[in-house]
Amino acid sequence: MSAKSPVNITRRHLLGTALGGAAFLAAGRSFAAGKTLNVLSHKVHQTVLGTGDGDLLKDWRSANDADITWSTFDSNPLQDRLFREASLNATEFNVGFMVDNRPTSQIAAMFEPLDDYLKKEPIEAFDDIAPGLVQGMTVDGKLIGIPVRHATQGLFYNEALLEEQGITAPPKTLEELVEQAQKLTFTSKNGTRVTGMVLASDLAVFPVMFARAFGGDFLTKKFELVPDPAAMEKGLTVLRNMFESGALPRSYATTKNDDQVTWLQQGRAAFTVLPFARFAQLNNPEQSKFPGKIKAIEFPVSAALQGKTPMASVVEAWGMVIPANSRDKDLSWKFIREVSSKRVTLGMANNGNGPVRVSTYKDKSFADKNPVAAVEAAALANARGAFPPFPEAARAQSIFLEEVQLAVLGRKPVNEAVASISSRIKPLLPPA
Amino acid sequence: MHTNPTMRTRKVAKRPALRADRLAIGLGKAVAVGAILVWSLFPIAFIAMSAFKPGQDIFAVPPKFVFTPTLQHYGKLWSDWGMFFDGLVNSTVITIGATILAITTSTSAGYVYSRYSSRFLNASVLFLIVVRLIPPIVVTLPLFPIINAMGLNDTHIVLIVLYATFFVSLGTVLMRTFIDQIPRELDEAAQIDGATRLVTLRRIIVPLAAPGILAVAVFVVVFAWNEFLFAFIFTATKAKTAPLVISEMIGSIDGVDWGVLFAASTIQLIPVLLFVVLMNRYLVAGLTAGATKG
Repeated sequence: MSAKSPVNITRRHLLGTALGGAAFLAAGRSFAAGKTLNVLSHKVHQTVLGTGDGDLLKDWRSANDADITWSTFDSNPLQDRLFREASLNATEFNVGFMVDNRPTSQIAAMFEPLDDYLKKEPIEAFDDIAPGLVQGMTVDGKLIGIPVRHATQGLFYNEALLEEQGITAPPKTLEELVEQAQKLTFTSKNGTRVTGMVLASDLAVFPVMFARAFGGDFLTKKFELVPDPAAMEKGLTVLRNMFESGALPRSYATTKNDDQVTWLQQGRAAFTVLPFARFAQLNNPEQSKFPGKIKAIEFPVSAALQGKTPMASVVEAWGMVIPANSRDKDLSWKFIREVSSKRVTLGMANNGNGPVRVSTYKDKSFADKNPVAAVEAAALANARGAFPPFPEAARAQSIFLEEVQLAVLGRKPVNEAVASISSRIKPLLPPA
Repeated sequence: MHTNPTMRTRKVAKRPALRADRLAIGLGKAVAVGAILVWSLFPIAFIAMSAFKPGQDIFAVPPKFVFTPTLQHYGKLWSDWGMFFDGLVNSTVITIGATILAITTSTSAGYVYSRYSSRFLNASVLFLIVVRLIPPIVVTLPLFPIINAMGLNDTHIVLIVLYATFFVSLGTVLMRTFIDQIPRELDEAAQIDGATRLVTLRRIIVPLAAPGILAVAVFVVVFAWNEFLFAFIFTATKAKTAPLVISEMIGSIDGVDWGVLFAASTIQLIPVLLFVVLMNRYLVAGLTAGATKG
């Protein structure tokens, strides 16, 4: 008879069990579907497609006997990863999400041209997708991405603060906006120090919007740099004067995009410029002190342009792309077709996605659910990107922002800053 | 006994001055320690408190220190960011794996450096130090296509090996210092009793060098638990760690939910904070190892 205990746990058993357990945990879940589509995206792209009963791709999965594995990253890391994967000999990722300010000729070459796929198996009512967004995903005459989401900038205001200062309607012109912002730089009745407007200083979007309000621009699609210097000077002068009068916060140089949201939610600022998609967050009763009181309008143009030139708000769009080095491209295209369909576009819009189809804005269920749908649709009609993609875009943007900050903070005369923008960025532009 | 009255007066006059000086020094020290504590603990306290604050109050001006605590952010973290908990599991697996690998390698190497001597070994010490001087980003990007070609992308094993690799040099130097303090006579006695080198290492050296092993473990655990760059480059879904998920919460294009972000940060902080507090004395031992040698 053995003298050993029936339960004999040795250190080896313990170590083996621990390592085995770790390996089991590391192995992850297995899926029953026959095929797997690997998608590289931001989490928001996955979220708007719904889950459980609200899963907008439920039927597609069963029809194609495929499951979808999402790998999600923050915006910039996502683009970095997508381009790195596309530069390999082969990648496991079948579909990626790309921002429209990234595809230069070199980048576009790493992705599958989609024109032939579109001819062979067309996307439902492709003409319904905003042509400007499709144009943003067309490089060297080739369609490399199908637009799926847009974020168009609008002017947000806190109605309660306007009422407190006796302002009955939001501004109709840029001059009115400046006047109201100055009036709204005050201490509110609850003791909060209010600043007329809050803007992040590290994004090109805002100075571009102010320049466009005077008919100017930073860089056009045809790579015309500061096509109207006088308009750019006017836009920057407005920002400079607002900063000097305190209508922009003293912390302007360090203000970030997220500060704009929290300042508006807390009633510390009366106006800001953000994508219309932020409407729900700004009015979220769990976060905002002014739920239902934060409204949005299209950013106003200068009085001189009113009724003559529409405001070209800044829009950023996302498109779905297929890496040229990926496998099973037919399955990828089927996925893109489904996500681009009218039904899924509407479903995603109801889940907070900026819809790329014109028809979605006309849908009653969407309009009822989204109070800024009509305003957003109007703004989208004339919207365009902040600047076109080109290899030195990041450097050009940082030079532009540096000069804008110097002008707004009063460290450099506005006209000199505008002249510097032109002279310093010109050598970075692609040859004509 | 006769005492000189002048001297007595001088002593009496000196005592209060001495006491006042000591009091001032003590007060100065207390203020300095207090300031350092506030400086280091305020961000942690702010994050932990905000995780229990109603969303409206997180960025209230003036800040609210008295509030009704809520668990809503933790609930939302659970429902909306399930992948954070998958990330925690991955972080745990990778941290444990990297720690075991780093300890095993460092202890073995430390033993060799402590007990053997040769020209090659002396030269390789320099190499260990040079490896520590290379910024991780320099090796990270070129490694990406290689790891991908080996089919190791998005696996736990790649992070376990990388994290352990980056700590083997420091761990080896630390372990060598600890093992140097163990008398060689113990090795010799074990060998006379018939123990092989491996048995000597396992039965004699490892138990006696346990404080050193724990010190190395503290360094590796803290590094592996919080590391971002390697995890960002080499993982996507299956081996994604918690810091990566937290970075996604910060960069959300539909707005940052600060309460949820702070809840995740608090959860992420607890295990490593507990571990460091429990192992504090070994961490100090690791930092001061060999300081009084010679």
